[in-house]
Amino acid sequence: MRTLYLALKYLAILLWSSFVVFPFLWALSTSFKTANGVTSGATYLPWVDYEPSLLGWESLFGGAGGINIFGPYLNSVIVTVSASVVSLVLGTLAAYGLSRFRFRAGFVKNGDITFFFISQRILPPIVLAMPFFLMLQTLGLLDTLPGLVIVYIALLLPIAVWVMVDFFNNVPRELDEMAWLDGCNPIQTFLRVILPNSLPGLVVAGMFCLIFGWNDFFFAFTLTFTNTQLLPVAIVSLNSSVTPWWALSAACLVSVAPLLLLAFLAERFLSRGNLAGAVR
Amino acid sequence: MLELEELERSENGTCILGGVTARFAPGKLYAVLGRTGAGKTSLMKAIAGMQALDGGTVRHNGEDWAKRPPWKRAVAMVYQQFINYPHLSALDNVAFPLVRRGLRRREARERARRELERVGLGSMVDRRPSQLSGGQQQRVAIARALVKDAPILLLDEPFVNLDYKLREQFREELVGLLGAETGTVALYATTEPREALQLGDEVLLFHEGRLLEQGEPRALFAAPSTVEAARVLSDPPMNLLPIEVRAGAGNLGSLGAVGEGTRIAELPDGRYHLGLRAGDLTVGGELSGEVVLTEVSGSETITHLDTGDHELVLQEKSVVRHEVGTRVHFQPHWEAALVFGEDGRLLHGRREGGHG
Amino acid sequence: MAEIHLEQLAHSYAPDAPERVYALQPLDLTWQDGETYALLGPSGCGKTTMLNIISGLIRPSEGRVLFDGRDVTGEDTRRRNIAQVFQVPVIYRSMTVAQNLAFPLVCRGLPRARIRQRVGEIAELLGLSTFLKRPARELTADQKQLISLGRGLVREDVSAILLDEPLTVIDPQMKFELRKKLKQINEAAGVTMVLVTHDQNEAMTFARTVIVMNHGRIVQSGEPQELFECPATEYVGTFIGSPAMNFLATVPREGRREVPDLGLGLSVPKGEDARSGTWTLGFRPEHVFAEGDGWPLRGRIRRIWFEGVEQVLEVEAGETVFRAKLDHARVRTGESVELRIAPERLALYRDGQRVGAGYD
Repeated sequence: MRTLYLALKYLAILLWSSFVVFPFLWALSTSFKTANGVTSGATYLPWVDYEPSLLGWESLFGGAGGINIFGPYLNSVIVTVSASVVSLVLGTLAAYGLSRFRFRAGFVKNGDITFFFISQRILPPIVLAMPFFLMLQTLGLLDTLPGLVIVYIALLLPIAVWVMVDFFNNVPRELDEMAWLDGCNPIQTFLRVILPNSLPGLVVAGMFCLIFGWNDFFFAFTLTFTNTQLLPVAIVSLNSSVTPWWALSAACLVSVAPLLLLAFLAERFLSRGNLAGAVR
Repeated sequence: MLELEELERSENGTCILGGVTARFAPGKLYAVLGRTGAGKTSLMKAIAGMQALDGGTVRHNGEDWAKRPPWKRAVAMVYQQFINYPHLSALDNVAFPLVRRGLRRREARERARRELERVGLGSMVDRRPSQLSGGQQQRVAIARALVKDAPILLLDEPFVNLDYKLREQFREELVGLLGAETGTVALYATTEPREALQLGDEVLLFHEGRLLEQGEPRALFAAPSTVEAARVLSDPPMNLLPIEVRAGAGNLGSLGAVGEGTRIAELPDGRYHLGLRAGDLTVGGELSGEVVLTEVSGSETITHLDTGDHELVLQEKSVVRHEVGTRVHFQPHWEAALVFGEDGRLLHGRREGGHG
Repeated sequence: MAEIHLEQLAHSYAPDAPERVYALQPLDLTWQDGETYALLGPSGCGKTTMLNIISGLIRPSEGRVLFDGRDVTGEDTRRRNIAQVFQVPVIYRSMTVAQNLAFPLVCRGLPRARIRQRVGEIAELLGLSTFLKRPARELTADQKQLISLGRGLVREDVSAILLDEPLTVIDPQMKFELRKKLKQINEAAGVTMVLVTHDQNEAMTFARTVIVMNHGRIVQSGEPQELFECPATEYVGTFIGSPAMNFLATVPREGRREVPDLGLGLSVPKGEDARSGTWTLGFRPEHVFAEGDGWPLRGRIRRIWFEGVEQVLEVEAGETVFRAKLDHARVRTGESVELRIAPERLALYRDGQRVGAGYD
C-alpha cells in the first residue's frame, strides 16, 4: 500500500517535471540545429538524429545574418536592475509609511493612496505608451537608457509598493512600538528593526520587479529605435522572412538564464529569513 | 512620581479612556484590573505616548510629557504577545536598548548577560527568539524591559499567553525581580482579580475606560465603593441580591428571611443590594439549590446553583464533584455581605473574619 | 458511539532506531461510551500523539486501537467516524449556519428531508436554531466553535468527538457559556468526548476522568477529586492545584520519615526501607487550617499572598518552607503562627511516587 503510494507520487512528480523541463530541452536541441535539422521532423539526439551546428549561437554574437547580443543584453541588465533597485528603495519607504502612519487629505486616505499606486498597473499598456512617448520625446530622452529607466521605475514601483505594504501590514506594530520605547526614532526603527526583518518581503518584491522588467517587450519596443535596444527587442529583430529557429532558441535560452539563476537564489534566501519569533 | 490627569479618548463613539486621573509612586506595583477592552492597554499606551488622546496630561516628576515622543520617554513595556527582535540573539535583544542609549557594545552585552542570568536564561543567550519556547521568549522580553532601569515599567498582561503552571511561577518570580527596582513605577495589567490582589501594592479598577477606584488590595476588597467596582474585583462573580428591608428584616424568597443577628437589622427601611462573594457561601446547611455547572479553578471548585428564584455562585476550597442536576446544601454568611444602596453605592463593607 | 480501547499501545516516531525512543510509552486504556475524558499535560507529553493515533492521523508502531471491539488500527480517519474540534473554529465562511451543519450529510448524499430534520435537531441542541439562516462568519467565536462541534455531532454514526484545546481562543466571559453547552451536549447526545489540554482547570472542569501525562507516559488517571486529594506522584501534586502541593524533605528516624523542623512524620509502609531513597512528606496547602484538632505546624509567616476571601501563607520553620491556604485569617507577615493539619491529609512520597498516606 505504502510502496504503491510512493511509486504513484514519484510518477506524478516525474511527469510534471518533464512537462516543465521539456521545452528547455527542446530549445537546447533546436539551438544546435540548422534549417534542415529543424524542418525534418522531431529529432532529439545530436549526432544520431541530426548533425549539430553552432550556427544559432554564432548568429547571436555577430555571426553572419545575426546580431551582436552583448549590447542589448547589457542594456537590459542596466535598465532592469537600476529600475528595480530604485523601485524597491522608494517602494519600501512608501510602503512602510502607508502601513504605519495615517495620511489624510480630504477624502483621500491611506487605502486610496495605495490603490493609486496599484491602479497604474490596471491600465492596459497601450494607454500608457502614448503619454510616455510624448514625455520622453519632450525631455529628449527617447531612445536613451535614462529614459527607459524612468519608464521602468513607473512600471515597477507599483509592484514594489503593493508587495511591501502587504508585507509590512503583517509585521506586528508592537515591534515598532518596542523599538520606540527602546529609544529608536521612526527612522531608526525602520532601518534597525523593520528593515533587517524584511528580507523575505524584499526578495519577493525584488523578484517581481526583475522579472517584470526583464520580460517587458512592449515599452522597450515602443520607446526605442536603434540606439538603445533591449534584449527582447533584439531577439525579435532576429526574425526575418525565414524564421531562424536555431538562433531564436539560443537567444531564448540566453535571456531566460538570469531568471533561472535568480529564482534559485531567491528560494535560498526565502527559506532563511523569516519573522518567526517576533510574536508568538 | 507619575501623574495622569483627566486622560480622555473616544473612538467612533466608544469611550476608550474616560477622564482617568491617577498618581503613581516609585517603588510600588500597581495592578490595573479590568475586563478585556476596559482600557488597560490604552492607559499604558497613553503613558508610553503611543495612544492618541483627546485631552488630559501625563506628567512625570512634574514635567508635562505632551510633547515628548515615545522614544524619549523613559518607559519600558512588556506586551502580552511575546515581542522580541527576530533578527537578534537573546543577548543582543536585551543589549539593544542600552546600545541605543549610547553604551558601548561590550558593556551593553555584559549588562544584558547579567540581566538574562537574573531571569534564568543565562545558558541561552545566543539563541534567536524563534529558537526559544514561549516562556523563554517572554523572559527575554522581561529582561529587555528591566535592563533599561526605566523609571516606568508597564506590564500588559505579560503572562496571559503562558501555560497555567508557568503563569504561577512567573508571578512569583516577578515579585522577586521587581523587589530590587525601588525607583520604578510598575503597572501590571490583568483581567484576573486574584492576580491583581496578589501582586498589587495598589489595585486600580477599570471599567469601560473609566477608573472606578484605586486602593490597597485589602481595603478595596473589604469595601469597594460601588456595585460596579465590587463586580470588577470579584472572580467568580459576586452574588448580587436585591432585598427590601422592613423593620430590620428582609425576605430573599428561597434564601429565607434575613435580619436578626446581621447588619440588615440595623438598616432603615428601604431597598438594598446585598453583595455576597462566592467564597462567603459554604457547603452544608439548610438552604439548597440545584447544580447548574461546576468549574475547577486552581484548587477551588466553583458551583453555580439554581435555587428557583436566585442563581447563586458558590466557591469551595478544594476539588469536589457535584453532578449537574443534584442538590447542594449551603449556608450564606450574611455578616460578610456587602450592603449597597439602591443607587449602587456601598453602605457597609465586609466584616473581616466573619466566619471560617 | 463507541467504546474506545487502546490495547498495548505504544508509539515511537523512529521504531527502527537501535535505542527505541517512545513518544508514547506502552499503555492499555479503555474509554467508555458516552463519557468525558481529558488528556492533560505540558506540551511534548505525548497527548497530541495519542489524539492523532485515535483519530487515525498516526498509525501506532505497536498495539491496536479498538472501537467497540473492532480493530481500526489500519483504518484512516474518515472510516473511523471521528469528529474533531480544533483550537481555532473551522467553519465554511461562505455558507450559512444551516449549510455548515448540513455539509457532512450533504457530502454523504443523505436525502434532503432527513438532512433538514437532523440539522434542526442539532441546532436545537447547540442553541443555534435562531441563527440557522445567518452567514456563519457573522457569529461570535464561541458560536463558531459550536458549529465546528455541530458538524461532528450531525453525523449519527460519530464514534467520538476529540476536542483539541477548543477554548483557547474563546473570550473568558464566553468560556463559561461554551463549557456549560459542552456538558449539556455530552449528556444529551451521549457521545464520548475527549479533551486535550495543558490547562488543568479546563481538564478538571470538563472531564469525569482526567488522564495526566508526562514524558509520553500516563502518570495518573482518575476523577478530578482523586487527582487533587491523592496525587500519585509529586509531579501530579505540583501540576494540579494552585498553589502547588507542599513536598517537604524528610530524614529517617526509627522506621519513620520526619520533617525535623516541624516534628512531623509518618511511618514508612511495611516492606519499605526508610533509609534508602529520597522521601518527601506531601500535603496540600488547602488542607491546612487555623484552629481545631490536628497535628500542629509551627512557623513564622514569611509572605502572604492575598487572594480575596482566601490568602496563601508562606510559612518558614528552620530550613523548611511550606504554604497554607486559609480563609479569613487575620495574620501578618513576620508573625509566628501555629496551624493545624489532619494526619490523614499527609502522605509520603518516595523518589517522587506516593507510597503511603495518613496516620497509622
